[in-house]
Amino acid sequence: MIAHHAPRDAAGIAHHPEDALLLAYASGIADEAASLIVATHLHFCADCRTKAAEMETIGGSLLDDLAPQPLAAGALEATLAKLDLVKPYDRPRRTLSRDGTPGVLRNYLGSDLRDVRWRRMGPRLSYVPLFRRGAVAARLLRGTPGADSGTHSHQGTEYTLVLQGGYSDTTGSYAPGDLQVMEAGQRHNPVADLDEDCINLAVTTGRLKFDSLIQKIAAPLFGF
Amino acid sequence: MQLFRARPMTRPVEVAEMDALLGRVAAQQDRAAFATLFGYFAPRVKAYLFRLGAPAAVAEELAQEALLNAWRKAHLFDPAKASAATWLFTIARNLRIDALRREKRPELDPDDFLPEPEAGADAGMMVAEKERRLRLALKELPADQIQVVELSFFADKPHSQIAEELGIPLGTVKSRLRLAMGRLKRAMGGDE
Repeated sequence: MIAHHAPRDAAGIAHHPEDALLLAYASGIADEAASLIVATHLHFCADCRTKAAEMETIGGSLLDDLAPQPLAAGALEATLAKLDLVKPYDRPRRTLSRDGTPGVLRNYLGSDLRDVRWRRMGPRLSYVPLFRRGAVAARLLRGTPGADSGTHSHQGTEYTLVLQGGYSDTTGSYAPGDLQVMEAGQRHNPVADLDEDCINLAVTTGRLKFDSLIQKIAAPLFGF
Repeated sequence: MQLFRARPMTRPVEVAEMDALLGRVAAQQDRAAFATLFGYFAPRVKAYLFRLGAPAAVAEELAQEALLNAWRKAHLFDPAKASAATWLFTIARNLRIDALRREKRPELDPDDFLPEPEAGADAGMMVAEKERRLRLALKELPADQIQVVELSFFADKPHSQIAEELGIPLGTVKSRLRLAMGRLKRAMGGDE
């Protein structure tokens, strides 16, 4: 694998979702786990927020150009009759995060990042399961400074979005807001930076395959 | 795979006109304005949902619900940010995810971001102009590019499966999308 040292932009982000992934989010085709990864990246990245909004404009334009399918007779009247029965939509008001946890993620955690209950899976690594849909799993991962997650490859795609701290592997270094996508079969050995805990949002669409025997045995126990 | 071709039966309505109707729904719960919006957008939302695989009866029901959502959310519509069509698209998209896929749509929390500087009076005009250029540029995309863009919106399947069905590598789908996005962004006057 060739290391590419992408420059960091003004927001400090070097690794963005590719157009296809951003478009899948904007169009609504991406599944919930991939959408959560993209939305969390957007929390950090104004440039990609602009791009996603432009992609929604494509959706508006395509919708506008669709051949209309007439509704059944009486559809308008039926809907008009409901107008007085529904309440104006009120956006849910949330308390402000005390540690800058992205709101989109707090909806899944039910709390701030600093208040989540971590599960240990070794002396230096811990995790929090968020949700699983079939083979797709979303979780938080935390490594202590310098923690080595072990060389592994992937049966499916692995999306990693840095929330705090950072890590490096042979492909480059990743800091808060950065997104790494590893496709099936690619191998890497991420190691957390030395200065603080590294916390990532991770989505996998298949099991991880570890090189080390201990991890091979342990990984399924933790649902990896 | 069948290549989707849009066949607009009516000339696209002036963007500003639909925005103004939505504004009247928001400001004074204008039912006549809502009825006009319904007549224009409900059949398009129905076509969108049908195209994504919803049975006709379900598409019909959800199209009505989408317009009902637009009524309830009209006060959140900001013409300086998006046109009525784009806003309706996001409502239809989210409704489909919620009702048909039974998943949540992870969305940014607007409270996480500083209010944007007050948009000038012509911000809505800029949105309209950008959309007009985008619409023209979409029509001028090479066939292989518009195909993957449309499938990204209307085929309820991941890009890997789209690639397989088109008989081309996934990398080719991605590069066509990248080329298309580059063209569209330039057309909209984006500074790449």
